[in-house]
Amino acid sequence: MTAITVIDEPENPLRRAPLVEGKNDFASVTDIVARVAENKTPKGWYLLFGIAIALLLNLGAMIGYLIFTGVGVWGNNIPVGWGWPIVNFVFWIGIGHAGTLISAILFLFRQKWRTSINRASEAMTIFAVMAAGIFPAIHVGRIWVIYWVFPLPNQMSLWPNFKSPLLWDVFAVSTYFTVSALFWFVGLIPDLATFRDRAARAGRTVAARVYGVFAFGWHGGNRHWIHYEKAYLILAALSTPLVLSVHSIVSFDFAVSLLPGWHTTIFPPYFVAGAIFSGFGMVLTLMIPARKWLGLHELITLNHLDNIAKILLLTGTMVGYAYGMEFFIAWYSGVPYEQFAFINRATGPYWWAYWIMVSCNVISPQFFWFRSLRRNPTVLFIISIFVNIGMWFERFVITVTSLHRDFLPSSWGYFSPTIIDVLTYVGSFGLFFTFFLLFCRFLPILAISEIKGVMPEANPHHGHGDHGGHGGHGSSHKGHSGHGHAH
Amino acid sequence: MTATMTAPPIEQVAPHVVTKVRDGDLKGAQMGLLGAGIAMLALSCAFGMFADGDTKKRFFFSYLVGYMGVLGICLAALFFTMLQHITRAGWSVVVRRIAENVAAVLPFMLLLFLPIVVGAEHLFHHWWHPNPADTVLAGKKAWLDSTFFFVRVGIYFAIWLVLAWFFRKQSLLQDQTGDPTINLRLARLAAPGLLLFALSITFAAFDWIMSLDPHWFSTIFGLTYFAGAFMSFLAFTVLFARFLGSKGYLKDAITTEHYHDLGKLLFAFMVFWTYTNFSQYMLIWYANLPEETAFFEHRHHGGWGAIGTLLIFGHFFFPFAFLMSRHVKRHPVGLAFGAIFMLVMHWVDMQFLIVPNFHPTAAAAHAEVPHAEGQSFVGNFTHGLGEWMHGLTIHDFLCFFGMLSFVAGMALLNMRKTNLLPTRDPRLAESLHFVNI
Repeated sequence: MTAITVIDEPENPLRRAPLVEGKNDFASVTDIVARVAENKTPKGWYLLFGIAIALLLNLGAMIGYLIFTGVGVWGNNIPVGWGWPIVNFVFWIGIGHAGTLISAILFLFRQKWRTSINRASEAMTIFAVMAAGIFPAIHVGRIWVIYWVFPLPNQMSLWPNFKSPLLWDVFAVSTYFTVSALFWFVGLIPDLATFRDRAARAGRTVAARVYGVFAFGWHGGNRHWIHYEKAYLILAALSTPLVLSVHSIVSFDFAVSLLPGWHTTIFPPYFVAGAIFSGFGMVLTLMIPARKWLGLHELITLNHLDNIAKILLLTGTMVGYAYGMEFFIAWYSGVPYEQFAFINRATGPYWWAYWIMVSCNVISPQFFWFRSLRRNPTVLFIISIFVNIGMWFERFVITVTSLHRDFLPSSWGYFSPTIIDVLTYVGSFGLFFTFFLLFCRFLPILAISEIKGVMPEANPHHGHGDHGGHGGHGSSHKGHSGHGHAH
Repeated sequence: MTATMTAPPIEQVAPHVVTKVRDGDLKGAQMGLLGAGIAMLALSCAFGMFADGDTKKRFFFSYLVGYMGVLGICLAALFFTMLQHITRAGWSVVVRRIAENVAAVLPFMLLLFLPIVVGAEHLFHHWWHPNPADTVLAGKKAWLDSTFFFVRVGIYFAIWLVLAWFFRKQSLLQDQTGDPTINLRLARLAAPGLLLFALSITFAAFDWIMSLDPHWFSTIFGLTYFAGAFMSFLAFTVLFARFLGSKGYLKDAITTEHYHDLGKLLFAFMVFWTYTNFSQYMLIWYANLPEETAFFEHRHHGGWGAIGTLLIFGHFFFPFAFLMSRHVKRHPVGLAFGAIFMLVMHWVDMQFLIVPNFHPTAAAAHAEVPHAEGQSFVGNFTHGLGEWMHGLTIHDFLCFFGMLSFVAGMALLNMRKTNLLPTRDPRLAESLHFVNI
């Protein structure tokens, strides 16, 4: 393995910074990504996987206990009928938003830097949506009739309530999961073929066979690529409204109610901004260690991290805008219940949760105003953890503080989680990390073919003598302009 | 390569691109637009402001419709400029000078605010002279206070004028020096600039539209105003660039590719407008709280119900189907038609937000035109449309289109003084050669 160079030069508007650094060509990019799956499994992986599996088993045990005993094992009470399960559901579904944003919206905006993080983010999305789906399912209490959430014709003429956003959630989340999984899988096909061919050449026939099944006989022909590019563009266009719709509908779960603190018109875009914020937080939490341990510095460069940090600053500030609007309008509305709900959030029994939320979500990303902090992986990793914590607390604050003190003081109460609540939530990380670690071990964790597509060599005008090395020199081109730019 | 190098002049990058309007050229168009704009506004003000009773009151509402509709275009021009810098956009360099020059009209928008100052007590009479028994309004007195209202006008305009002036000035400076560090500086300053912009446009929308009905409130309101404003700016820019192209300017610079991109953004923000308005409507409808539904209740009478329907179809369904096509966005006439259509819809949208707050004095209130119950959807719609048209005044047209014409004329005046595009922007070549896949 050659020494890894980390380039950290000042921004220069005269050229686009290269997206792949170091002395890499197509072959070496394939090598960097493929060796992650081909090398001997590192001991650290077994350690992490063991922990993840233990947590996953714990999740199974908790769900089993819940089903055999009943939802009374949770801290949910009257008035707080929605406790941690809904908080966890919204937390995970929010994390699932970065993948589609990166693969769909950043694709339509021609943000070429997305190529080195889209694969892992999409995988993260799928696993996060799986973790999310568990909570509403087990929250129904009688999980053996969970299929009733679907409008299935039946002799009892029993239909779900189509006017309920909880039902819209069923449709929105299952659509989202399906489209995200399709998108992810379509993107994987060329890289799976690469893995197949490498395995076959190395004599690993079983691996070659398995990769081969999923590679659908891809051999990189012209016709394959034409269809592939078209499918990718169509899936991107289909996914774009989904990025907004899923979390908008999740926000409707709260906002269609009459409850102060839930019922406010900014909820849909505010939830979407929060979801993207939390999703990018989790992307950093996962990719910074992966970049370090798997030696991906030349593909996931400081510029990539810098861009993610900027998105965190933007979306964190948008969330801050929404908090501010809620507070201002609560005061401006003149409705005493609205005013009370927000003062109670900030100063009531759950004041600590509110201020954890504000500090983590609004204050911590403000460090990213400084370029040096945006390009410091340690700082990024620490703040990404704060973002994860803060976004969980945001859902906790919304769910619990509005419920625990409503219009009638005689029905006020307090919510405390039980140990089962805590272990179930911790267990959901087991599910998430089990899948993510398997993904890291066996699948191409970066989109090999897409990364090659943004390298200078992929430019049809490459090597015609009007430039050399990396980066676009927009000014010196006779034909099309520099690299890292759409053609 | 270091950042101390300069960007090459346009003569080297694209010798065929004409960078300046020839002396005296386009003067006729500019004077025509300015003349028509000023004449329409002056005529409207003369007949409206010095009328009395309801005619005068109604005039101020028409004026506010025109003002907020066109102010949004200028503000979104400032937003567009900052957005291109913060994202280090390459494709849009050739369009950016138009945005800078439209934003440079903002000082005149401050001047055009004067009739609103004069009419403030009519427009905002609910809280300007609040009913002493109204305890809800008493609770908002700290915000809805005439002195503080004008202080805020000053703050908003201070933010907008400084930003618009600074971003344009630096860009013009780069035309001379070719200094690429200007891009770095502007990209850095765009971040706090956008933050200030977001807050100021939100509160301006609260102050100048939402407070017309001071009991009503909606947290998303600032965002809906912004969405419509940015959409109409894109429509305006498409038409403005096409006009310049038809006169032989910028037609080698702003190509089908750039129109395609502008069209995509126009489509996207048309949909975003719908998204924010749907969020607002659906949540208010669902919760059915009287203090919130009052907003839509007012808009069920006097033909406004039909206008709501018109907006659903004209501001969403039709343009969604029409602008979806790649072919339309790349077709000169197709896109121009879409842009004109969206500008008209933007005017209708502003009408829908503002004019239903006009309540004629009891004596003058004309009885609602009776109409048969149980008519068909189309029957109700055409009846409502007729009722709305009946309520329109000449000022509704004069103010909006006069203001639009004035801003287009001023923008053209600015374009004649400056280079037509940022000639030494380091990403100019990238923009000139950009193609969609």
